[in-house]
Amino acid sequence: MKVVSAVTTSWPGLRVDRPSFSAVAESELDAVHRYLLFLTGNRSVAEDLTGETFEKAWRHWRRFDPRRGTARAWLCQIARTTALDHFRAEDRRRKREERYARDSAVREDDGLGGGEIEAALARLSAAEREVVALRVLLELDGPTAARVLGISATACSTRLSRALKRLEEMMSDARH
Amino acid sequence: MPATDTVDFERDFPELVARLRAVHVDAPAYVRERVRSLGEPGLERPALADRLAVVRWRQSLLVLAPICVVGLIGAALVHGLVSSGTSKQEAVATTRSGEGGSTARAPAAGAFDSAVPGPSTARAQDYQATMTLRVEDRALTSRTNEAMQVVRAAGGYVASVRQSTAAGQPGSANLVLRVPVSRVEGVLVQLSGLGTVIDRQLSIRDLEGVLRQQRARILQLRVFIARATEQLRGALPADVRLRLQLQLQQARTDLLRLTGANKATLRQASLSRVSLTLTTQKAAGVPKSDHMGRVERAARDAGSFLAGAGAVLLFLLIVLSPVIVLTLAAVWAFRAYRRREERRLLASA
Repeated sequence: MKVVSAVTTSWPGLRVDRPSFSAVAESELDAVHRYLLFLTGNRSVAEDLTGETFEKAWRHWRRFDPRRGTARAWLCQIARTTALDHFRAEDRRRKREERYARDSAVREDDGLGGGEIEAALARLSAAEREVVALRVLLELDGPTAARVLGISATACSTRLSRALKRLEEMMSDARH
Repeated sequence: MPATDTVDFERDFPELVARLRAVHVDAPAYVRERVRSLGEPGLERPALADRLAVVRWRQSLLVLAPICVVGLIGAALVHGLVSSGTSKQEAVATTRSGEGGSTARAPAAGAFDSAVPGPSTARAQDYQATMTLRVEDRALTSRTNEAMQVVRAAGGYVASVRQSTAAGQPGSANLVLRVPVSRVEGVLVQLSGLGTVIDRQLSIRDLEGVLRQQRARILQLRVFIARATEQLRGALPADVRLRLQLQLQQARTDLLRLTGANKATLRQASLSRVSLTLTTQKAAGVPKSDHMGRVERAARDAGSFLAGAGAVLLFLLIVLSPVIVLTLAAVWAFRAYRRREERRLLASA
């Protein structure tokens, strides 16, 4: 994580020294995008949600308290809520329009990528992909990742272990 | 790798982790531009929701709870000190004799000391005292006699005595005593020693004003009588003489009455009236609080205050507990629903 320039943007009644939003956005953009890509399994959706996440973060920047956790964890929480809202909306739309098949096709065309590991990742569930993204790619520690996911640290660890095992097995199968 | 992790994925899956981290998934340029274009949030005054969002509730509660407890205890102590002080002031205020009429009532049984407010030596005053003493069952008659001896020894007299004793009933003696004002203070102290003082009331009424009015009126009447007598010696028309004679007669009658009243007032000022009741009845409902010192009273009042506050809190807890339970259940149910929905959404994503 890059070092950001620390400035005080708080009012007297809100004595929280937080870094500037621009600096945080610059340093955490790729991490948030990576997380959303793993969570959604779809590049175009991840890109849209990344923009949406930072817009939300910009609106609620005053609510970020560095004493409670890192900016990355805070952004990931927003990203997750944004993604779940997206999934909810998609779910309603699918039910309403019954176009699940077509949407699935679109998702496969615009997935994680064509490589071996990307293909294996695509076969994991979204819950498994997101824990891999948070812990391995974004390098959040166990408790922070668990807090982002809204589960216990033990459950987070178990989920990560299971996801990595499955991923390894799938890649091993693909080689043979 | 933090020590809190239960799985060391970098050691268990080194190759996989390396390959995952090698996946090139940086945000595209147009997303970066979109985020950059947001700029910095404005510096306008934060909304209430923003202010509340940065409040750390758990830490705040940990600080606020002891502050509330300390504040409550402090309020109880202040209440105790203030109320105990007020009680003492009232007791003192009632024993002060004044220029005009005043009544002094001792605080309660058992709390009497030997000192009593005495009459003023410089002014004429109507001094009355009422006192109730509890005496031993078999000592009622002897104590009654002792009371009368005390009064006589002081130059006073017993105006009336009424003693009643009946089998199985508490006995009592009611005495009306007249004591020279100059010695009443000592007499009251002596009488207090005959038993346990249950009740004592003192009444002091200033008579200077009454005496002044009486003297002025007497002087006025004497002047009138002297003038009228002088006029009657001379030659006067018959009707005038008759009217003057009638006025003179009336003035003499008034003078006689006023002189008697003036003597009675002076007698009243010279002899105090003491109503003494001796009883063998056990004192009931003697409040122990009056034996207490100020610190004890303050502690008792502070305890009462805290007990009251506790009762209010308990009442609120009982009344609000269904609401609290329902709210907690609703929150729990909502979170469970959200978690299940999230699992379903992530499974289908």
